[in-house]
Amino acid sequence: MDIIENHDEWVKTYTENWLAHYHETGETNWKIYNRPNNKIAPSGKAVNLKEAKLILISSAGSYMPDSQDSYDAENDLGDYSIRMIPTDTAYDKLAFAHTHYDHTAVDMDTQVLIPTGHLQDLVDAGEIDSLTSNYISFMGYQPNAAQVVDETIPAIIEAAKAEGATAALLVPS
Amino acid sequence: MIARALEQEGIATTLTTWNAGRTRVTAPPRATFTKLNRGSTIGAPHNTEQQLRILRATLALLEQDAPIEPVKLDEEMDDVNG
Repeated sequence: MDIIENHDEWVKTYTENWLAHYHETGETNWKIYNRPNNKIAPSGKAVNLKEAKLILISSAGSYMPDSQDSYDAENDLGDYSIRMIPTDTAYDKLAFAHTHYDHTAVDMDTQVLIPTGHLQDLVDAGEIDSLTSNYISFMGYQPNAAQVVDETIPAIIEAAKAEGATAALLVPS
Repeated sequence: MIARALEQEGIATTLTTWNAGRTRVTAPPRATFTKLNRGSTIGAPHNTEQQLRILRATLALLEQDAPIEPVKLDEEMDDVNG
């Protein structure tokens, strides 16, 4: 199954419309942006949560400013890199670089986007077997879906496998 | 798209979002849809009960074979934070 159905057609339309307009004008015109539109959902086997090793995948743009580079949040063409963050990182050690959502809520309570505390509580209660040592973070403003397929997704898959994850919770911002 | 790729690698996925329209067209294998706001995906700030309800409902989908129809949750911002 292709990650983007009609991949080549999507790339052509994106390149000739949204991207060409951006290069000509410097404007990000979402009226001419072609969102990927998949018709068929993938099949996959169920897992028993009580036996699962869960990884959190967040697009909120979290990173550890003391030891990691920020994301290129101001880039109109997006940032396709990922960061690995220890799942037990104290919330006051995190920062968020993402200019496409209001940070008021996450500044009040980090768990609205990074629910690692709640997830650990569910592990402690025996509802989930365990969490991976690190969670995966990226900055979800990524207009080039093909670049997501070529760069971000392979990095996420490699990281999730390295962490030994059997299940993933995706939390978009 | 990330969920689709992970499922193909044998890693079961689930997600929750306030943006049903934009997510539905990606054909995710398992998902819950809420009426929350951008930037408050797991629930209203400091509303621990709501956040845990959403997490448990979303994680519970992992115990079903995919694909399943997205599940609508009647969860929205509370008066204080919404």
